[in-house]
Amino acid sequence: MSAELRASGITAGYGGDPVIRDISLHVAPGQVVSLVGANGSGKSTLLKSLAGVVRPSAGTVMVGDRDLTGRAPEDVARAGVGYVPQVDDVFVPLTVRENLEMGGYLLRPSQVRARIEAVVMVFPRLGTMLTRQAGKLSGGERKMLAMGRVLMLEPAVFLLDEPTANLAPAVARTLLEEHVRRLASDGAAVLIVEQRARAVLAISDRTYVLAGGEVRMTGTPAELSVSPAFVESFLGGTVAR
Amino acid sequence: MTIFLASLGFGLVTASVLAIAAVGFTLQFGVTDVLNLAYGAVMIAAAFIAYVVNQAGVSIWVGLVVAVAAGALGSVLLNAGVYTPFQRRGASPITMVIVSLGMTLIIEFGTQAIAGGTSVSYSMGQGPAVSADGLVLSTVQLVVIGLSVVVMAGTHVLLRYTRLGKAMRATAANKNLARNCGIRTARVITLTWAITGALCGLAGVVFAMDAGSFDATSTDLFLILILAATFLGGPGQAYGAMLGALVIGLATEISAAYITPSYKYVIAFVALLAMLGIRPSGLLGERAG
Amino acid sequence: MSSYYLINLLVYAAVDAMACLGLSQQFGVGGVTNFGFIIFQAAGGYMAAILALPDASANGGFQSYIGGLNLPFPVPWIGAAVAGGALALPFTFLVGRRLRGDFAAVGLLVTAVLLNLLVTNYRPLLNGDAGLSLIPQPLQGEFDPTSSSYQWIFTAGAIVCCALVYLLVSRITNSPYGRSLRAMRDNDTVADSLGKNLLAMRTTMLVTGGAIAGLSGGILVSYITTWSPAAWGYAETVVLFAAVIIGGAGNHLGAVLGAVLVPVGFEEVTRYIPTSNSLPPNLIPSLEWVAIGLLIVIFLWVRPQGILPERRRVIREAGTGLADTAPAAAAAVPVPAGPPPPESVTAAARPEGQRGSPDPQGPRSGEVVLRAVEVTREFGGVCAVAGVSFEVRHGTVTGLIGPNGAGKSTLLAMLAGTLPVSAGQISYLDQDVTGLPAYRRARLGLIRTFQLASEFKRLTVLENLLSAVPVNGGDSMRGALAGPRYWRGDEQAAIARARTLLKRFGLDELANSYAGDLSGGQRRLVEIMRALMAEPQMLLLDEPMAGVHPNLARRIGGELMSLAAEGLTVLMVEHELAIMDEFCDPVIAMAEGAVLAQGTMADLRGRAEVVEAYLVG
Repeated sequence: MSAELRASGITAGYGGDPVIRDISLHVAPGQVVSLVGANGSGKSTLLKSLAGVVRPSAGTVMVGDRDLTGRAPEDVARAGVGYVPQVDDVFVPLTVRENLEMGGYLLRPSQVRARIEAVVMVFPRLGTMLTRQAGKLSGGERKMLAMGRVLMLEPAVFLLDEPTANLAPAVARTLLEEHVRRLASDGAAVLIVEQRARAVLAISDRTYVLAGGEVRMTGTPAELSVSPAFVESFLGGTVAR
Repeated sequence: MTIFLASLGFGLVTASVLAIAAVGFTLQFGVTDVLNLAYGAVMIAAAFIAYVVNQAGVSIWVGLVVAVAAGALGSVLLNAGVYTPFQRRGASPITMVIVSLGMTLIIEFGTQAIAGGTSVSYSMGQGPAVSADGLVLSTVQLVVIGLSVVVMAGTHVLLRYTRLGKAMRATAANKNLARNCGIRTARVITLTWAITGALCGLAGVVFAMDAGSFDATSTDLFLILILAATFLGGPGQAYGAMLGALVIGLATEISAAYITPSYKYVIAFVALLAMLGIRPSGLLGERAG
Repeated sequence: MSSYYLINLLVYAAVDAMACLGLSQQFGVGGVTNFGFIIFQAAGGYMAAILALPDASANGGFQSYIGGLNLPFPVPWIGAAVAGGALALPFTFLVGRRLRGDFAAVGLLVTAVLLNLLVTNYRPLLNGDAGLSLIPQPLQGEFDPTSSSYQWIFTAGAIVCCALVYLLVSRITNSPYGRSLRAMRDNDTVADSLGKNLLAMRTTMLVTGGAIAGLSGGILVSYITTWSPAAWGYAETVVLFAAVIIGGAGNHLGAVLGAVLVPVGFEEVTRYIPTSNSLPPNLIPSLEWVAIGLLIVIFLWVRPQGILPERRRVIREAGTGLADTAPAAAAAVPVPAGPPPPESVTAAARPEGQRGSPDPQGPRSGEVVLRAVEVTREFGGVCAVAGVSFEVRHGTVTGLIGPNGAGKSTLLAMLAGTLPVSAGQISYLDQDVTGLPAYRRARLGLIRTFQLASEFKRLTVLENLLSAVPVNGGDSMRGALAGPRYWRGDEQAAIARARTLLKRFGLDELANSYAGDLSGGQRRLVEIMRALMAEPQMLLLDEPMAGVHPNLARRIGGELMSLAAEGLTVLMVEHELAIMDEFCDPVIAMAEGAVLAQGTMADLRGRAEVVEAYLVG
């Protein structure tokens, strides 16, 4: 299954002033698109409004030809969108296997086992700890489990919120270059939020730079890495304007 | 030794009633994060519904089925009509508990208003006594124990092996993530209240059977046992509630054999306060950092 | 209307109002939810009884009870209050910080149910189910208790006692101590971080409420001359809660109103319902309970603040005293205006003669103020902070940066004492504070702010600032009881300081608005000003600039630098790296729970591992 993700004019917040304003982006199947920017620039909020966790006050979210604007998270998930949040990303009291089973909740029972095996092939480490409680995993293992959970449904669209936070640089690089890149090469549309701009640029087809709740610039990695404005808008944040 | 065995027998029956009740209570907390203090009131209301059916000339076991259904329906309405709206507004846990106290008054004394203040009993035979080695139990008591075992086994199967049970555990562990998995948590919560409400109704009837005679206020003290069993095992932990029920039920009845029976609740009380003071997450719960 | 009826009504009104005032103080102001409240009234009643009754063998020994000391008035009433207060002490373990409010409340509820059971069943203690009767009334040896004049004087006495209790709780609540109680109620973690001893305050609330409830029990018992377990079932606590919620929690006049409407009102209304033999005898009382339950739920839904909500405390500009719009009696005394507000915020943050001013024995520039040695935090198998060591020197604004998940907030929480360390030491001003709770560190001058909104919502902006003042004579029970004359000076000085700060940061127009009504950036400012009011030696700031307008952020940064020049030490977690450039030196960079490097921002930008891990990683 493949589908394009298209967001137009998204404005959203948590009551009070909007955190993000009039943001538009799109991710085609097979593409990795990254979202970078300083903390507080609204990256997580944007992802949440695409995943149905936050309801946008304006704008539309389309996955393929389905309008998912403002739909509940469970409906967005059923429409083929896999969202990995930044925190609270696993079911802590459940085992690794049960976490994966939860990821495969929408599957028929006969399919669940096969999918677990497939996920374990992608993340062999998980295969050695299927009966371990998720709360007892290390940071890196937890992130793998969070990704594995989402992989169970083979969604058409992936929304990843800082999947490399807490990970050692080498592990982060592996996660991005091997696993995230492969999601796209398998046909999905991947939207990934990251703070480590350089690392994620290396695997992106396109990057959006967010600052102060708006899109500051966008371009391919080649274009951006030679742009002085890119470094400045990313590092300077809102104070040095 | 006979005293000990006899009290052991009573203890098993109490533990059985308590297990059915505590499992329902703790699961309600696990999935909704509300201490539903009106649980005891719903129990006794269900007991009275069974009584009404019984008085109409029908067997009490049919009454039990009706009570179970009533408990399920009533609990779903309680959560959907009262607790959920307050929670949606962001009410604090204290407010929720005061609301549950208010609902306790409404349900308990509403039952008393309708049923009257005098004690009643079911019209039922106790069945032949069964004895083994000095331990004597009536058939009805054995049935209660059997029902409890069935409930515990069923709960185990539900939580471990069924799709709904896993969805319940996921919702209790991390509601937002459960939704991201496509789980319709609102539906899961409603079903949880239906199931635990059914347990509540069942607990009410077997409680009344065990007590012999009862009135609308009979479950006031029993709620202490439920709370003690829940906190011993850990709020939200179904297996903890089973363990807690066994410990509290046995300890209560066995101690009653050796000290004045009126004080048997003291053990539960001490256990509850000790857990609250030392380890509120319970024996089986996660220690809070 | 017979005079007997009126006397009965008034005595019950006085007793119920007194009990509700005790609950209003404990629950409405102090935020302590005590579902066993009725047992304190019961304790008072029983104590008054056993102090006043003759020995148990009297009257043919038909009652058995302990005590029986036959003591004259007013000893039984005093004993009642003492008993109510003393009963609170064993339960203080339930109101410490660690237990969820609803769990603690349930513990007290269960206690009430059980004590009733115990007293009912253990006859030798207090005559069990039948209860105590023939309790002597005050001075019944000297006067005839059945005479009309005695009854009226008794009634007057009860009302006077109630009025005295009202004055007492008002005095407590309108003092700086009352403000600290309300702050604790609104956000106990933050109150803790500002130096408030939560356990002591909650214990005081339990004891105070208990003593007032006890006194009400003593008076009631002296009137009706009997007292049995039926009078104090657990449901009676619910009635009192209903009264306080409906009348208005946090407003003492509301508590009195609630007492008149609920316990008294219900009694009276049911008196007029015609009894009929066709109705079952239990119906009316049962429906009363149903009605109370309905009222609780409906009020909590429709008007949770009650009929008379807690008043917003408006503090007028200097010269008119401290009272809000309430009775002239308090505001009539002309109060000399406070000292002319100093112009600079640095002076406002460091008033003369108070703790913050340059202290010859204190650390000098360059000396280490805060030292972390191998500080570690592990929980549930995840290591958030791994063996972090560093020093913060006096008079610096030190920055702490790192990507999300680097452990900065966790580290800050451990430095402040809100989170315990798994391993390592923290020393502050050469003192090992590793095991010291947050409020003790705050009292030593180590003050923190929080990442998420942490204002006291139901206090005004000015009250928020005032709540942080570390030295205020009125910020203790003793000071509160001593009255405004005792703490007015401290309060005036604090108000002056606060107003200066407010003007400096441009929020003086909002001084008397509820802090919860402000915008995000404004609330952030209130938090920073509040931290400055606490006369810190060292500030731990958790993302203070988040959500603040760039110009204002710059001004805050500038103020912090001036304060640092005067001797304040600051450790600041921030994401805005430009802020680090401008205001912070040195800067510590963290990643994955460990310190990567330390230096000026320019240095760090030149270090490859820092850039890799964080900047454009």
